[in-house]
Parts: sequence; C-alpha cells; structure tokens
Amino acid sequence: MPMKLLECDTLIPEREKHIYIKEAGEDTTQYLPLSDSATIPGSLSERGCAFCGAKLVIGGVLKDTIQMIHGPFGCAYDTWHTKRYPSDNDNFQLKYVWSTNVREKNVVFGAEKLLKKSILESFDEMPVIKRMIIYTTCSTALIGDDPKAVARAVMAERPDVDIFVVECPGFAGVSQSKGHHVLNMAWIHEKVGQVEPKITSPYTINFIGDYNIQGDTEILAQYWKKLDIQVLAHFTGNATYDECRGMHRAQLDVVNCARSAGYIANELHKSYGIPRLDIDSWGLSYMATGLRKIGDFFGIQDKVEALIAEEEAKWKPQADWYKERLKGKKMAIWTGGPRLWHWTKAVEDDLGMEVVAMSSKFGHQEDFEKVIARGREGAIYIDDGNELEFFEVLTMVHPDVIFTGPRVGELVKKLHIPYVNGHAYHNGPYMGFEGFVNMARDIYNAINSPLWALAGQNIQEGDL
Amino acid sequence: MGQTDEIVTFIQEHCLWQFFSRTWDREDNIKNVLSLTFKILTGEPFKCETADERCHFANANSLAAEMKEALPWLEDLPRKDLGTVLSRVKDSLEDITVKHSLNAELNQPSY
Repeated sequence: MPMKLLECDTLIPEREKHIYIKEAGEDTTQYLPLSDSATIPGSLSERGCAFCGAKLVIGGVLKDTIQMIHGPFGCAYDTWHTKRYPSDNDNFQLKYVWSTNVREKNVVFGAEKLLKKSILESFDEMPVIKRMIIYTTCSTALIGDDPKAVARAVMAERPDVDIFVVECPGFAGVSQSKGHHVLNMAWIHEKVGQVEPKITSPYTINFIGDYNIQGDTEILAQYWKKLDIQVLAHFTGNATYDECRGMHRAQLDVVNCARSAGYIANELHKSYGIPRLDIDSWGLSYMATGLRKIGDFFGIQDKVEALIAEEEAKWKPQADWYKERLKGKKMAIWTGGPRLWHWTKAVEDDLGMEVVAMSSKFGHQEDFEKVIARGREGAIYIDDGNELEFFEVLTMVHPDVIFTGPRVGELVKKLHIPYVNGHAYHNGPYMGFEGFVNMARDIYNAINSPLWALAGQNIQEGDL
Repeated sequence: MGQTDEIVTFIQEHCLWQFFSRTWDREDNIKNVLSLTFKILTGEPFKCETADERCHFANANSLAAEMKEALPWLEDLPRKDLGTVLSRVKDSLEDITVKHSLNAELNQPSY
C-alpha cells in the first residue's frame, strides 16, 4: 500500500493520491504522486500563486529591469525581498519595488491610464533604466485591462525603451509553476532573437534555471571564466534583459532548474537547434560530472579536469570533515520541486546523510519521476503538502534537520527542530564546490546549535 | 540483481536525460546516449558532427566512465554480450520512462 492516506487527511481522502512511500522493488510505473493539480479544498496548501512564479522566481531577478506590478500594492510587496538574489550592479532589483497601486475606482473605471502613468513615471524617475516587465495580477486581469496595448503605446512614444508583458494573474494556474511556464513561453516567442550578442569566445552557453540565490551565479561564473566559456545569458541570475534576448546564439543550453526553465530550453532546441544539457549544480560529485559533460561537449576536457582538481583540492577536505560528522543524520526536504531531486543523492553521497521525507509545492510528475528514482526506500514523497501532514510526517521519520522555506520553517522552529532555508539559503551560496561546503556547514550548525534545546527551557524566574 | 537491472538502476539514479519533458525527447536521448555509450565502452570509433550528437556524447561519456567505476564487471563483458545487455537496458528504460510512465504530461504536443 505505497500510496498513503495520513491520519490527518481522513476528511480529505483525495490526498492519498499525492503521498507515496517508496518500497523495495517499486518504480514509477507503479506509483507516481498526482501533482500540478488543483489544491484540494480543506488542505492548507503552502503554495504560491501563478503571478508569484513569474515575478518572484524568474523575471524579478533581472538586474536592469523595472518590475511593474499592475495591481494592488500587496502583490508587489509580497513578491519583493523574500528571495535573496543579489547582482553586481549594487542590487538594483532588490532595492526597489514598483506597483500601479490599483484601487477600487480603477476596478470600476479601468486601470490602463493608471498603468501608462506609472510606466512613464518610473522611467522618468530612473532615467538610466530602459527596460521593464509588466505583470498583470488577479484584479487587473479580471477587469480586462490590455497591458500589451499600453506597452506598445509607450514604446511608440519612447523608442529607447523596451517592455515585456507577462499576462499571468495569480489565478491562472494551480501554483507558481504556471507563472514559470507563461514567462518562459512569452519570452522565447516575443523577445529572444531581438538582440545579437557580441561573441567573445569559441565556447558559448546559456545557463538556464539559476537565479543567483545568495551568489550562486558568481560561483559558477568563476568556473566559466577559467574554462573560457562565454555565458550569453543566465536565465536569469545576475542577468540583464538584453542578454536574455540574445539566447538564440548559444551553442549549448546548460539547464539547472528544469522545472522553472526547462520550457525555454526545449523551445530553444526546437526553434534554434541548441541542444539541452541538464546538470545538477549542487554537490561535489554532481558539479564535477556537470563540468565534465560541458568539457566533453566543447572538447576542453583538460581544462575541465584541471579546474575540478583545483576545486576538489580546496573544498573536498572540508566537505569530508562535515561528512564524518553528518553521517547518518536524517534530513527532510520540503521545498518547491527540483531541489528534491537535485539534493537527495547529493547529500547522501557527498555528506552521508539520509533523506527521509520530501515534499514539493509545485513539482510536476516529471519531478516525482526523478526524485523517486533517486530517493531512498522508505522515504515519504509528498505533493503539495499541508501543515498537518508536515506535523504527522515528523512523528513518522524524526528528521534531524529540515530544508524548507520560512513559512514551514516557522512551524518546525516551534517544535525546536532545526530548519535551513531551502529556498533562499541561510548562508549561501550553495552551488558549486565552495557552495556545497557552505550548505554542509549550515546543516552542521543547524543540527548542533544549542539554541534548539535552550528554546525549550522555561526561563521565567519566580512566581507570576 | 541481473546485469540489465543493475545498469537500469544506475541510470535511473544518476541520469537526468531519461526524464526530459516529452516522449520524443526521452526516446531520442535514451536511444542516442546508449548507442554512444556502447561505442565508448567497446572502443568503436565514431564521429559527432552535429551539436545534438556532441550533447549525446557528453552524456554518454560521463555515463560510461561512472558505470565502469560503479559496475566493474562491465570491463570483462564481451562486446556481443554488452550489446545485448544495453539493448535490454534501452527497452527497460523506455518501458519505465515512456511506455508505462504514469506521467500525464508526456504526450502533450507542446512544451
């Protein structure tokens, strides 16, 4: 009975289709959790909305682009600053937030004039910035505003600006995954091919599905520099708007997050013949394998082996120090989707840990195929987990540390179980060789911190 | 566990190319990566002339190297037997990731 109905789900038995416990001899042709489907009423989902997937995850990372959120200001504020993706231009994208601040009167009389006024004001206030993404939200989608028409009018008046419109209101899909999809497809069809990049290396790639969380992109950039590989576009870590318009000229698409950005890699293959190479950028072994594949593609194996030797000499002894101390520790990964399959074997192989439970907010069945193939027997695999399920799973598997976001993290903190921010990291970056040592350090520190025990003590003195 | 199953388990745990988004991508990857893996393991000469072929080679070369380390009996397998085993591996991977996959998105015509 590998599909599991938890006790807390007795009143919502549909949840059984979303929870799987792997047993010996099984594969994904027998059991695969239902996913990317509507949250069941009565289940307190941890998901975000479709707009959030477009803005917070992908578009908002661009470092030279005004992010105009066409809606009430809450939509803008709630997708700002909750992920830490810095940039090398003084973090322009993290310092500002833009909103048309739609109010009741705009819902009644329309908000296109307000949108145009907000666009012009923003460009006037920031005259150096010439690029903008406009996002519709639930309210402005429902009243029938036409932001593309407004964007065309502004671009006609100001030929030096370029505007991209993402029409993906929060209700457009079952989770943030829909926003990834809409942005990917609109970008490839409307913007890629408009800018010709200056080629400076015989080896060119797009690095797709990395968002420079706490500097991941900077770690990887060191490798590309040593290998003389030119990254035409990071999609979208530390990237500019125009770099991502020149993706069509790369020789190879290297894909990290296949869930949020596999679409654009597939389309680049279909339209421009650029092959897609999926790699894992977290973990010492995985990173080495990924680099070797890129070396094989370009025929620069010697350079790659030298780089790996240098990095392993520097970082493997530290990773091994943590491995000795983390061996057998149990970990749960409750994040978005791809990090389940990116991390489960990386922490098991490179750090000796055991991943005992994994939950995905917006993963599709493709993600569950990957993670179940890689994950251990006995582990619990959950789609769109809810709060009560998390509490019940804790009593089943007793993890020593949980990788999750701040929302679920606050829940488990109250139980004095260590959590590490699996979305925005605690003290990253976590990618690459150096990054994985940072990750190991954060796991070690979380598990061994005395604060968890101290937090449970009653420090009140005297009688109330 | 038989030789075919050992390789299938290894590939299932290690390789992302078998899990691309759609049926046609998975079939293309499985066929071409395993074909090149056979040539690499047996020392048969080959040329990669297109970007797609070089990408398949990149995946195959890593697979061959990692399998040789993890499954040392591969080195002693006669060429003919290796061909038979990898042919069975191909069938098995296609069964798991394509033909009998429960992934409802696999045959959607657009990405």
